[in-house]
Amino acid sequence: MSFTAYKDTIEEGDFVFCWISREIIKPIHVKAGEVLGTRFGIFSHDDMIGSLYGAQISSAKGYGFIHLLHPSPELWTLSLPHRTQIVYTPDSSYITQRLGITVGTRVIEAGTGSASFSHSFARTIGREGKLFTYEFHEPRYVEAKQELEEHGLTNVEITHRDVCNGGFEIEENGASKDIRANAVFLDLPSPWTAIPNLSSVISKDSRVGVCCFSPCIEQVTKTVEALMAHGWSSIEMVEVSAKRWEARKQMVRRVDDAVERLRDVKRRKDAGIQRRKDDIAREALEGTEPSIGDKRPASETPQPEEKTKETGFNPFGKGVRVRDGDPQWEWINVSKVESDIKSHTSYLTFAYMDPNIRVVNPVEEVAEIIA
Amino acid sequence: MSEYTYQEPKEAVFDKPTQLITRGQCVVVRLPSELTKMVVLGQGKLVNLGKFGTFCSDEVVGYPFGQSFEILEDNKVKPIGALLQTHDEPEDAEYDNATDELIRNLASSENNQQIINIGTKIQKMTTAEIEELKETGGAGVGKQIIEKIIASHDAFDKKTVFSQEKYLKRKQQKYLRRFTIDYAGPSQVLQFYYQKDPSRVLDMSEESLGMMMNLANVRQGGKYLLVDETGGVVLYAMMERMRGEGMIVVAHENEHPNHSVMAHSNYSDELIDSVVKPINWLQFFDPEEEKIGWTDFPQDIIDGMTGSKRQQYYRRKRRATDVNHAINLVESGNFDALIVATTLHMPSLVEKVLEKVGGSRPMVFYSQFKETLVQTQHVMAKDLRVLAPTIFETRVRPYQTIPGRIHPVMSMRGFGGYLLWATRVFPKEGITAVGRGIVRKENRKKQKIEALDELSGAPTEESTPEV
Repeated sequence: MSFTAYKDTIEEGDFVFCWISREIIKPIHVKAGEVLGTRFGIFSHDDMIGSLYGAQISSAKGYGFIHLLHPSPELWTLSLPHRTQIVYTPDSSYITQRLGITVGTRVIEAGTGSASFSHSFARTIGREGKLFTYEFHEPRYVEAKQELEEHGLTNVEITHRDVCNGGFEIEENGASKDIRANAVFLDLPSPWTAIPNLSSVISKDSRVGVCCFSPCIEQVTKTVEALMAHGWSSIEMVEVSAKRWEARKQMVRRVDDAVERLRDVKRRKDAGIQRRKDDIAREALEGTEPSIGDKRPASETPQPEEKTKETGFNPFGKGVRVRDGDPQWEWINVSKVESDIKSHTSYLTFAYMDPNIRVVNPVEEVAEIIA
Repeated sequence: MSEYTYQEPKEAVFDKPTQLITRGQCVVVRLPSELTKMVVLGQGKLVNLGKFGTFCSDEVVGYPFGQSFEILEDNKVKPIGALLQTHDEPEDAEYDNATDELIRNLASSENNQQIINIGTKIQKMTTAEIEELKETGGAGVGKQIIEKIIASHDAFDKKTVFSQEKYLKRKQQKYLRRFTIDYAGPSQVLQFYYQKDPSRVLDMSEESLGMMMNLANVRQGGKYLLVDETGGVVLYAMMERMRGEGMIVVAHENEHPNHSVMAHSNYSDELIDSVVKPINWLQFFDPEEEKIGWTDFPQDIIDGMTGSKRQQYYRRKRRATDVNHAINLVESGNFDALIVATTLHMPSLVEKVLEKVGGSRPMVFYSQFKETLVQTQHVMAKDLRVLAPTIFETRVRPYQTIPGRIHPVMSMRGFGGYLLWATRVFPKEGITAVGRGIVRKENRKKQKIEALDELSGAPTEESTPEV
């Protein structure tokens, strides 16, 4: 039940997300005697058993380490094997919030794809909720089904189906299952062909929200037309754009210090010229005649690094490796956006279906109201 | 970590209606102008929507949330398909057929070449005439006004079909006596407060709120530590994702926490009390001092008390139990997430409270200013108890959604806040990262720090010395 509740200590057979770096998170099932090989070393599963979730462990050689993390839908999204393009957290969390998906919501998802969003739905809808997810590609369906079972997501029912042609209805004991979805998420190449099939599987006595997830504007046009034609209203398309920011430090380099440094360089240059002149004059007095441009012996030449570090005015640490935030210098906190951003994931087309019926006659109403 | 258990005095039942408009409930009334109002549907209570008219609460009870209505005479309503109907929606209404016809019968132009902006001169109907019509009230008066306005518009036929539709929509927003009853969920309450005063909800957008919930892995049965200065919007969103199951310890800086938003939530006080455990920062950081010593009085003394004395006794007992319970919860720590939306200085806050977060559990900080989170991230990057602190910004861009004329809307809200997400971890003492090149003993410590920084995403490339 790792995706539905936290536990503290890792036991044999547990699902553990090995955090190797931001880019590499390796989900493993812990099994005594086995090892995990990474570029930071080899890690023994035996060391993991009995460790706390969140613990850092070192490799067999004693250096190099990884963190052992507890599964969560958001970490799964970062680590899962991509069978398809996936829905990332900024999109999935917004869709969940906007459609009002909470504990107890009955959700339809098509297609399942890499089941990234399925994990997130399953977590949010809880025990009382139900996710009906559909995948038309058989190998993907088989993989996803196994994965959902292994992850203990018992509130998810996956069906191998092309919902555009075959609809959403599920046969059970010769009758159609009562799906009564309150929310629908369509991540399909042609959602407009699936929209007509929704009417028999959505709730008849409450508002139903739909979100169609399509990358192209042409798809949005066809989707909106289909939604209008089938009685959906409050249609709105939006786009989610998310950025990751990185905290940095920038050294405070004052122009006064730059001026002072130039002055210092000039002063030292002048002093050097003067010294050279004095040398020539002295040498002329002593009767030796060095040709112009002759160098002094190496032993008399000051070492350049020493000069910068010790004799010169060096306010910005030039020629020295300075660590960001080194307290010897002054810094300001700055931020910059990650180098590559996802500038477009998909367009999100939202719409609602209202049953337009009075479910309870207020005269007969008996429900006790909480103040 | 000691496991602290506490027996609730009584099981609170979650029975909040979320799909059906129910009497006595707090609901959102959405107007054609896109403004929203919060209303409690008292029995027989009239709801005045200003120029949009008045309706009786009883009229809307029993319909599912999301239902739209048109105001008729005598505070009555009739259910309608949607709040605003566009030209091509086939659904319902004589009204729409009528306006459709109106537009169809009137000529339109290929382009706007003939449009000359001469303001009021083009509209033959005067404000006084419109007001007079409004006074007559009654069903369909909005429709009549719009029809007359269009009929009296000298250059309506010079407009393109597109601009005729837009004109119509504007007039519908202004004159139609329609409204929608929406569920007062966290997103709707957030939107309502945002309209009134964005600073009250720390400029938080719905997308930031939703992402907070997901990043913090909020779900049924969790035990969370929350700091919330949005008046309870974050708390409400968490309650919705937990449906009465689990625990939220709310740390605050006053005598009582401010959860004014919860008044719109339709949760009973019993339910809120069973889930939400407030604790002020003094109690949080000085638990031994702040615990309330309590011994029950013998039963015969209680029996001998006067009514008001006995009530007072039980109140004091309740308070002692609640405070001590909250303190015990914080002392036992191991929270499933730390969720923070505060104007308190976060870099110093995080150092003091992160010990309370369980291993591998998420920490999510919200701020309306990125700078605050940048500073916090710098502090976290140096703290080995924190893994991979990351700042996110998420923004939703709305589009005009009409087939053939899809484009982003011209203006949208500029802010919505930032999020910092990190994971609580337990560093291992005395271990060494794999460095670049050969590891010499004296360099090991330095390399460990470097590798840690690399893992936690802190910048190292440009600034770390080569070994």
